[in-house]
Amino acid sequence: MTFSLPEAGDPVIVQGITGMYGSLHAGLMLRYGTNVAAGVTPGRGGRVVEGVLVCDTVKEAVARTGAKASVLFVPAKALLSAAEEAVRAGIELLVAITEHVPIRDTLKMIRLCEENGARAIGPNTPGVIMPSRRLKLGIMPAPSFREGGVALFSRSGTLMYEVADTLTRSALGQHVALGVGGDPVNCTTLIECLDWAATMDEVKSVVVVGEIGGDAEERLAEHIVETSFPKPLVAYIAGRSAPREKHMGHAGAIIYGDYGTAESKIAALRRAGAKVARTTSEIPALVSSAD
Amino acid sequence: MRLFEYEGKELFSKYGIPVPRSRLAYNESQALSAVDEIGLPAVIKAQVLSGGRGKAGGVVVVRTKEEAATEAKRILGLIVGGERTKALLVEEESERVEEMYLAVSLDRGRREFVALASRSGGTDVESKAKVDMMEQQVPLEGLTDAGASALSTKLGLSGRTSSEFRSMLLRLERLSREEECELAEINPVAVRADGSLLALDSKVVLDDNALFRHPEFSLLPPEDPVEGEAAKFGFAFVLLDGDVAVVGNGAGLVLSTLDMVADSGGRAACFLDLGGGAQRDRVEAAVRLARGLPSARAILVNIFGGITRTTDVAQGLKEVAADQPKSRVFARISGAEEDEAHAILLGSGIQVFRTAQEAVLAAVKEVSP
Repeated sequence: MTFSLPEAGDPVIVQGITGMYGSLHAGLMLRYGTNVAAGVTPGRGGRVVEGVLVCDTVKEAVARTGAKASVLFVPAKALLSAAEEAVRAGIELLVAITEHVPIRDTLKMIRLCEENGARAIGPNTPGVIMPSRRLKLGIMPAPSFREGGVALFSRSGTLMYEVADTLTRSALGQHVALGVGGDPVNCTTLIECLDWAATMDEVKSVVVVGEIGGDAEERLAEHIVETSFPKPLVAYIAGRSAPREKHMGHAGAIIYGDYGTAESKIAALRRAGAKVARTTSEIPALVSSAD
Repeated sequence: MRLFEYEGKELFSKYGIPVPRSRLAYNESQALSAVDEIGLPAVIKAQVLSGGRGKAGGVVVVRTKEEAATEAKRILGLIVGGERTKALLVEEESERVEEMYLAVSLDRGRREFVALASRSGGTDVESKAKVDMMEQQVPLEGLTDAGASALSTKLGLSGRTSSEFRSMLLRLERLSREEECELAEINPVAVRADGSLLALDSKVVLDDNALFRHPEFSLLPPEDPVEGEAAKFGFAFVLLDGDVAVVGNGAGLVLSTLDMVADSGGRAACFLDLGGGAQRDRVEAAVRLARGLPSARAILVNIFGGITRTTDVAQGLKEVAADQPKSRVFARISGAEEDEAHAILLGSGIQVFRTAQEAVLAAVKEVSP
């Protein structure tokens, strides 16, 4: 499945725009320069939130605006049906901010996207930002991000902000920053992000922020080797000191036995040729030296 | 949410998976009447959620009533992985000629459910299983008869064992799907002399995020008062065994702070994620909670302000600084409006830093002898 983000000024919609979170972030996206052209909340059609017209259905919002992308702030219970509605209405990119989504609903979302040629990011993601397009599809704090040549991919939201901020303060801007989400299963994987980064000329180096739990980083390391990934890669893995069998905040951040340890991930990424930072503050220097 | 063995076995029974006869007991006299009902020899098993129960002495076969009394007394209260045993399962002892492993589990990397089975089940399965674990993909709609047969064939099963295996697998898969489990595991599956199968143990982990569709499993409020308080505010909280309480806004950020504490030679007393929107009252509550931990001798607060307003955080911290401080607060505040936030805390008794590293070092130094 290909990967494309809206161009600068392209219309996007916000599902769940009348909620506290949805309206706050619709406003922040607009102020960043993203064209939030319509909102959707069933039963609230006709209202105006942050100067944006609210529609009852995605179909109506798409018909009015021509949007191909949607940012979803709907409750966990409603996410799968909201995603189905969006895909049927012609939405090609779904950014699911919603957290606490059942695993089987996420798996169904993955299949929904595969069958309809759509892409979803998340759930439980801060979203994706592309400063050069003034495109902010998510909840990340805009001041931490600057235009530049780094592609930043993260399993954690706040660490993505922290690392972006650190990079920005070191004059290392970002072409794109994307959170894959803190859940055990992500609709867009780190591997897909890396493949995407390989195709973007603007991306000079990649920073991956991983954490304990699962084997996404190990798989990524294999993929780096198999595809001879052509760009410098710096990684950071949180949770070296975490105890086993405990959910460390994120549903996906849990070690079972020897499965999901930071050591395993760090070793795999090192073997694949990545530079692994011990703290987030080391990342800018490693990025600079990798270029 | 992980279920106790007896809860998992109740689910097994509901789905028609054969289990040994058993009774639950909360004290010695209940255990003895359970033994009377079940007969001897019997197995007494500690009902705990932590792994390593067998190695800790939490599972024992008893052959006399005296032995049952002694062992029931010993196991009630036994600590397994830091967890106190509060209940026992008294179960009939099952003869078997072989032990197998069977599970339906989420494969995170492949992003699908898989059925896993091995001819060598039992306690050492995690080390042995890598060699001979067989797998079968489980479609979202459920495993088919053909899928179950394929796994049975991979294991080389035949006759009655094969047909019972296929039935057990299909039932376990339906349980996993309908109850929305991350893991439904039977280890061991007893193979008896006549080829029939019995589920001797259960490990069932429900998908916490799906519990709204399964109100019968509603999470009980945590027994621990600190965990209860954390749950009330919606904090993600994990108690650890050190003396520097770590509080921050965001799971990954707190996780990385724990690592920095460890790297600096310190030990964290807790993981506390405030979550998004760390408003003033939440910051206050978090610091008070961290201070309430008997082991906490310093409070390390790591805030990266994005959407969270650092000035709000500073106001919250200033408020708790007015309390009689048992343990001092070391805060890293960075992000939007950080200068104003630092100014608010000037002279408050709280040490404020711009980088996490500085705050970590100061907090670790505070608790060092």
